[in-house]
Amino acid sequence: MLAAACSKEKAAPAVVATGRAPATATGTTFPQPGAGNPGEWTTAGRDYAGTRYSPLDQITTANVANLKVAWTFSTGVLNGHEGQPLVVGNTMYVTTPWPNITYALDLADAHAPAKWALAPPTVSAAKGEACCDVVNRGSAYGDGKIVWNMLDGNTIAADAKTGKQLWKTKLADIDKGETITMAPLIVKNKVFVGVSGAEMGVRGWIAALDLGDGHVVWKAYNTGSDKDVLIGSDFKPFYAFMRGTDLGIKSWPPDQWKIGGATVWGWITYDPETNLIFYGTGNPGAWNPDLRPGDNLWSMTIFARNPETGAAKWAYQMTPHDMWDYDGVNESIVADIDIDGKPRKVLLHAERNGFAYVIDRTNGQVINAEPYVFTNWATGIDLQSGRPKYVPDKMTRQGVIIRNICPSSTGGKDQQPTSWSPRTKLWYIPATNDCMDYEGTAVSYIAGTPYLGADVRMYAGPGGNRGELVAWDPAQGKKVWGVKENFPLWSGTLVTAGDVLFYGTMDGWVKAVDARNGNPLWSFKTGSGVIGNPISYIGPDGKQYIAIYTGVGGWMGAIASANLSPDDPTAALGATGAAPDLKRYTAPGGMLFVFGL
Amino acid sequence: MRALVIAGCAVALAAACQRDEGRELPHGMPQGIAVAPVSDTAGGVLPGIHSQVAYGALHNPYTGNVQAERDGRQLFLSYNCVGCHGGRAGGGMGPSLRDSAWIYGNSDADLFATITEGRPNGMPTWGGKIPEDQIWKLISYIRTLRTSGEPDPPPPATQPNR
Repeated sequence: MLAAACSKEKAAPAVVATGRAPATATGTTFPQPGAGNPGEWTTAGRDYAGTRYSPLDQITTANVANLKVAWTFSTGVLNGHEGQPLVVGNTMYVTTPWPNITYALDLADAHAPAKWALAPPTVSAAKGEACCDVVNRGSAYGDGKIVWNMLDGNTIAADAKTGKQLWKTKLADIDKGETITMAPLIVKNKVFVGVSGAEMGVRGWIAALDLGDGHVVWKAYNTGSDKDVLIGSDFKPFYAFMRGTDLGIKSWPPDQWKIGGATVWGWITYDPETNLIFYGTGNPGAWNPDLRPGDNLWSMTIFARNPETGAAKWAYQMTPHDMWDYDGVNESIVADIDIDGKPRKVLLHAERNGFAYVIDRTNGQVINAEPYVFTNWATGIDLQSGRPKYVPDKMTRQGVIIRNICPSSTGGKDQQPTSWSPRTKLWYIPATNDCMDYEGTAVSYIAGTPYLGADVRMYAGPGGNRGELVAWDPAQGKKVWGVKENFPLWSGTLVTAGDVLFYGTMDGWVKAVDARNGNPLWSFKTGSGVIGNPISYIGPDGKQYIAIYTGVGGWMGAIASANLSPDDPTAALGATGAAPDLKRYTAPGGMLFVFGL
Repeated sequence: MRALVIAGCAVALAAACQRDEGRELPHGMPQGIAVAPVSDTAGGVLPGIHSQVAYGALHNPYTGNVQAERDGRQLFLSYNCVGCHGGRAGGGMGPSLRDSAWIYGNSDADLFATITEGRPNGMPTWGGKIPEDQIWKLISYIRTLRTSGEPDPPPPATQPNR
C-alpha cells in the first residue's frame, strides 16, 4: 500500500491525494491524510483536498438498506455538534463542543472504552463570545499527535497514544471577542489555525504553528497593510480590482479595517502539486454596510498561500462590500476535472452568497459560477471582472428594511461541508433555501460584545422547503438532481466508492441516498438533530462503518439547543424566523452514532 | 455595604445626566462613568458571587415609566444587548429574555446584579460601563417583553408574496 502510494501515480480524474510528502530535515516523514490507509479518516475533510470521498465500498446501494446501529457514545454536551470524529488505526478521536474535551475511543473493544480523555482547563466566559453556539469542528492528526482548538482561544496538541498534553498555544483573546471553532489542518510539520468572531468586531487572521512544539511560524491578517496580510512580490490576483498596494486598508474607511472581521472559521484545504493552502475569509464588520464604504478587502475572499511562509499567491474576493453577511469561509475542495474537453485543476467552492464557484486553483480565475439555490441579490458573476452583477433593489443600507433577499445570511450553504465523488463526477451540496428581510442599524463598537448593526428576519424560500441536497455538475455549472428537505440542511455530506451518499437533517434523520440519482435507500431517526458531518472507516474487524455526530445547535439550530423564543423571528441574528418550529421536532443531546451492516 | 452601593448610585446618576441615551455611542467603551464600588469588602467582583449581599433590596425607580421603557429599548440596541439576546430579546448567543425562565432570578435586584456584575456563562460585567440609571431603564424595557406595552415588538412571522 505504502509502496504504491510512493509511486508518482497521477491522480486520475480525481482528487484523492497520492504520494508522500518529502522528508523533513529531521528525517521524519509526514504521510498525506487519506493517502495511506483507505480505512482511516485522519483529517476533517478526509484528505488534503477535502473531498469527503471515502474509497470504501463494502456498503453499497444494494445493501445499505441493512445498515444498523453498531454502537453509540454520549459526549455529555448539549450544544450543537458540528464537525466529525477521526479514525487513526484502531482509535476513534471525538472532540466535543465547549468545554472541548477530546476522547480516544478503543475500536478494538466492543464497548469502545476511552483509552484516554483530555479536558484542558478552560473558562466559561468564552461561551459569551461565540456568535453561533459553542461549536467545535473537529481535530486533526499528524506525526503521532492529535491537535484541536479550544473555544477559549488555545490550540492543544496531545500524544495520540497516551493523551498526554504535549503543547498548548494561546492564539485568540476572548476579551476582544476572538474565539476558535474551526478544525485545524496539518500539512507536513505545520498546523493551520484561524480565528472566529466577525460578529464581534475582531480582525481576522490565520496562523501556522509548528507541529513539534506549537510555536507560531507565521501569522497573516486578512485586513490591513500588505505586510500584515503577507502580500508580497509573489502575489498575483487574477482580477484587476484586487491589484494595488495596501488594499486591506484603502478599501475601508479610516481604521474600520481594525475591527473589520474577515475571520477564518471554516475549512482549510491543501494541494501538494501547487504547494498551496486554500481558505476563505468571513464577513466584514459590522453587518451594517453603510459603516464601511468600499470593497472591504480581504473579507469574503479565497486566499491561496504558501504553507511554509504564508505568502499569498492569489486571492479572489467573491462578494465585494458584503451587504448580507455572506461569509466566504466555506471549503474549497481541490479537484481535477475535465471542462470543455480539457483537464483543469480547480477548486470547488459553494459560497454562502448562493453561487457555486469553479475556480482555477493555479491563478484564481473563475471558470464558472452559477446559483445552486434561489438567488436574487445578483443576476450572475461577471467572468471578465470577477465581480457580482448586483441587483440594486437588494442592496441593504441603514434605516431601510430591504425585503425578500435570497439567500438569507445563513447562505445557500453555511459551513457544513460538501463532498465530491470522482466516480459520479458530482459535487454534493447540503443547501439552505431561505430568504430574509434586512435592515442596517446603528451600532457601537464595544470590545468583546457583538458588533452587528443589522435587524434581520429569515423565512423559507420559494417552494417552502427550507433545505435541499443538491447534486451539482461542476463541469457544466448546473444542478443534476436534488432532494428537498423540510429544514435547512445543516450537516455535511459523505460520498463513498459504493456510490452511497450520507447526510443528516436538523429533525434528527441520518439518511443514505443513491449518489447517482438521489433515490432514498435508508434512514434512521436519532434523538437530536444532525448538524455533524458523516465519515466512513474500517473497524478492526475489517468491516466498513459510518460514524456521525448528532446534537442539534449551531446558528440555525440554536432555537432548539438554547431554547430561544420562537415568537421573536429576529432572535439568533434572524435565524429563529427560519426555523420557529424546530423545537417540536428535536431536543438537545450530543451523541456519536456508528452504523454498520 | 449598602451605603457604599447607594453612594455609588448617586455618583453614577450624576454622570449619566451628561449623556443623551438615544445618541449613538462613539467607538470604544464609554469613559468616565462611576459605578457602585463593589470591592474588596464584598470579596471581589467575580461574576455572580455577591449579588444577594450588594443588591438584595434594590428596586427599579422607573417602574411603570413608559418613557424609561422606550429609552431602555434604545439602550438595548446601543449597548449591543441585541447581538446576544436577539433582535427582540428572544435570545441567540445569550438566553431569551422573553420566556419565563430566569437563570439568575428576575427580581429588580437580581436583574440589576446580573447586568452590573455579569454572569459566568458569558454575560459581561457592565458595571462601570453602563450608568446605573440606564441599567434600570434596560430593566424597564425587559419588563415590557410580551406585553401590549412592548416598544418595537417583533415583526409578524409572515412571508412576502412572490
